[in-house]
Amino acid sequence: MASVLFTNVRVFDGSGERPYAGEVLVQGNRIARVTRSNGLRALPVAGVDVIDGAGATLMPGMIEAHTHFSWNDQPSLDSIQRMPTEEHVLWCAHVAERYLSMGWTSCVGAATAKPRLDVVIRNAIDAGEIPGPRYIAASQEITVQGGLGDETRPHLPQPEFSFGAVVSGPEEIRRCVRQFVKYGVDQIKINLSGEYITGLPAEYTPFSDEEIAMCVREAKRFGKRVAAHARSNESVKQCIRHGVEVIYHASFADEEALDQLEAAKDRHFVAPGLAWLINTSFHASEWGLTPEVTRKMGYHRELEIAVETLKKMLRRGLRILPGGDYGFAWTPHGTNAKDLEYFVKYLGMSPMEALLSATAWGAPIMKRPDELGRVADGALADLLLIDGDPLADITVLQDRKRILAVMKDGEFHRAPPTRTAARNRWSQAA
Amino acid sequence: MDTLFTNVRILDGSGTAPYTGEVLVRGNRIARVARSARTISPAGAAVIDGAGATLMPGMVEAHTHFSWNNAASLADIQKMPLEEHVLWCARVARSYLDHGWTSCVGAAPAKPRLDVVVRDAIDSGLIPGPRYLAASQEITVPGGLGDETLPHLPFPEFSFSVNCNGPEHMRAICRMFLKYGVDSIKLNLSGDNLVPHASAKTHWMTDAEVAVAVEETRMRGKRVSVHARSAESVKQALRHGCEVIYHASYTDSEALDMLEAQKDRIFVAPGLSVIFKLLEEQPVQARALGYEEELAAAIESLKAMHRRGVRVLPGGDYGFSWAPHGTNATDLQYFVRHLGMTPMEAIVSATRLGGQIMRRGHELGEVREGHLADLLLVDGDPLADLALLLDRKRLLAIMKDGRFHKAPEVAEQRTLRPAAYAGVAA
Repeated sequence: MASVLFTNVRVFDGSGERPYAGEVLVQGNRIARVTRSNGLRALPVAGVDVIDGAGATLMPGMIEAHTHFSWNDQPSLDSIQRMPTEEHVLWCAHVAERYLSMGWTSCVGAATAKPRLDVVIRNAIDAGEIPGPRYIAASQEITVQGGLGDETRPHLPQPEFSFGAVVSGPEEIRRCVRQFVKYGVDQIKINLSGEYITGLPAEYTPFSDEEIAMCVREAKRFGKRVAAHARSNESVKQCIRHGVEVIYHASFADEEALDQLEAAKDRHFVAPGLAWLINTSFHASEWGLTPEVTRKMGYHRELEIAVETLKKMLRRGLRILPGGDYGFAWTPHGTNAKDLEYFVKYLGMSPMEALLSATAWGAPIMKRPDELGRVADGALADLLLIDGDPLADITVLQDRKRILAVMKDGEFHRAPPTRTAARNRWSQAA
Repeated sequence: MDTLFTNVRILDGSGTAPYTGEVLVRGNRIARVARSARTISPAGAAVIDGAGATLMPGMVEAHTHFSWNNAASLADIQKMPLEEHVLWCARVARSYLDHGWTSCVGAAPAKPRLDVVVRDAIDSGLIPGPRYLAASQEITVPGGLGDETLPHLPFPEFSFSVNCNGPEHMRAICRMFLKYGVDSIKLNLSGDNLVPHASAKTHWMTDAEVAVAVEETRMRGKRVSVHARSAESVKQALRHGCEVIYHASYTDSEALDMLEAQKDRIFVAPGLSVIFKLLEEQPVQARALGYEEELAAAIESLKAMHRRGVRVLPGGDYGFSWAPHGTNATDLQYFVRHLGMTPMEAIVSATRLGGQIMRRGHELGEVREGHLADLLLVDGDPLADLALLLDRKRLLAIMKDGRFHKAPEVAEQRTLRPAAYAGVAA
């Protein structure tokens, strides 16, 4: 692997400091040196590939905290399971590449639609067989009869209809967790609250404490992390009470829940997945979900409450992370950087905070707090070269053309475009 | 944009001697072929100066198993779970294209839908791969080649084949695969020496079963291909009108007469690699399995077929540890060394005859105006050294359907690489 020197770049290093002019040397899969420059080259160039960034921004690869590779950009939950396993595997591989191309060099799997999709894709990425981000592989969503993820019908009770794994009682959840642990997941997902679109309201909290306790105990026994779909107030409290580290959504958390969360903030991660609420409320008319319909479902009210809840979290110094539930027709995979725009627009984050949420704040959820999300000596070389200044315009990260280069683990997935004269013995451009 | 290959030696696949000329590709087709240099106007085309390299049709593999996973045994194929198997097949499909095989005839996947899914993914542009005819699993009978169940483990998932019992069962199996969208139904009519209890000379399926398979398959306009090593199985296939005969190691004069009589309708792909390479690498085991004797018989049979004008095509059963995917062009050398083909005949078998087995002889397999632009630019003369086709580095460019899978390399050994701006295409 050749060493690469990025020179003439503005470095956004993930520390919270304003970007500075500098140079970054990558050796192997790590960042060897970061230096500030005053227009003069500081690092030696012998034996390295030099990328002259011409003033482009060099920043850490982004981290998506709630990824469903297997959601298939369709307009309904039911459509997900209509895809056969073989096609679903190829779809997931395709989506994994899309994330990496869009600058997401790490993703946290938030649940897979069929038992082994996440694990298989993670393994194929790690083995270098397919391109994709660093990936934390999840289980299916563990749910209850009638809960989010149970897509069976009275006359079609076959479990293959559901993207969730339906359980009832502590022993069933134990068996379910162990099955996913055997398959090799990194994270167990449990649906602790409802979800309006499924008919079980978001404020319902269907699991018993005995079941959750069993789920967490079994997961921890094997060193796995638990993540929860938790929109209701009670479900957020269950997460804190039982040590469910990753809290998705948290829309209806009350002051008591926020107090508890603040007290345990070094242990928990919150990823609200605002894109789902916003786009389902206002941008899904084409698929029959007009604002009128989604208001009736409860999504508009939930969005309003969630925004207030999340603002309170930010004021309390809690870190919230981008990502969430992309992969529907109105939130297609690859558009995930919209979350940063939403953070600024809806939650009042500064662009700096939004950028940090996608980089340095995400590193701990990947279990590599000191190695990811930073441009720093010794960090893993996950880097983006951006045409423009994301702090001036956070939306540049949504534009594939503005992402000039994507490097993961010291290797370019997308090398920067270069000007070359194509001419040799064999070929000549017209 | 059009592509103009200039200054190339054209080995057009028809059997005529190579000539210097130019080839213009427009869209996905060959628009013009010129027999001299500087005849076709380069205006509006990307010009590839071949500097004397050989331009030939993409090769066609007549017996491909994407899902064979380079393992040492048949049982190992089914140990791979479905999800991994899909990714494996996608990767192997790409590697065929990487090695210059722009078309492949599926000879049977190990799980029901693997071939169909990979073909569809290639056709939709989701993954790179050759043109592909998707096959059914091998249909066999209990105890035959492909039945990997054990008495105490009778689960069908252990087998890469589907067990058939009786004509009506055969009908149901064929209909299932036709529903899945296969292009061909595969029947195992004979055994195989790799399976000692069902060796090559054994014979397994009733005429009634074969007849139903052919009836159902023809009704949908699809094709039946057969694993047929014994003379009896070859004759059975011909009797029922099966189109693609794999192996045909053992023949008698009756079988050869029947083959010759149907030579314009049928294809034979012997798949010699398994036998040759096993004899090379594990001679003791291979001899014990009877492969030495089968090889001697197969060489005589195939020489006779070639003399009688039966179409004998390369490809076959790559995907074992001793004959991994990607080494398929070795078949062309076997054809010349052992079957009495000239190098030109070997090339024609991989190109023009290949277009025919793809059912597109009118538009595939030759460098000819109006044909589909599946082309290889080869550094050297394959007629002088067929081994060139085994060397990826000598395949300077690989084009399928008018688009480069591998564009010809351009010189670039610069250490200073200025990053351009967004306006410059990535």
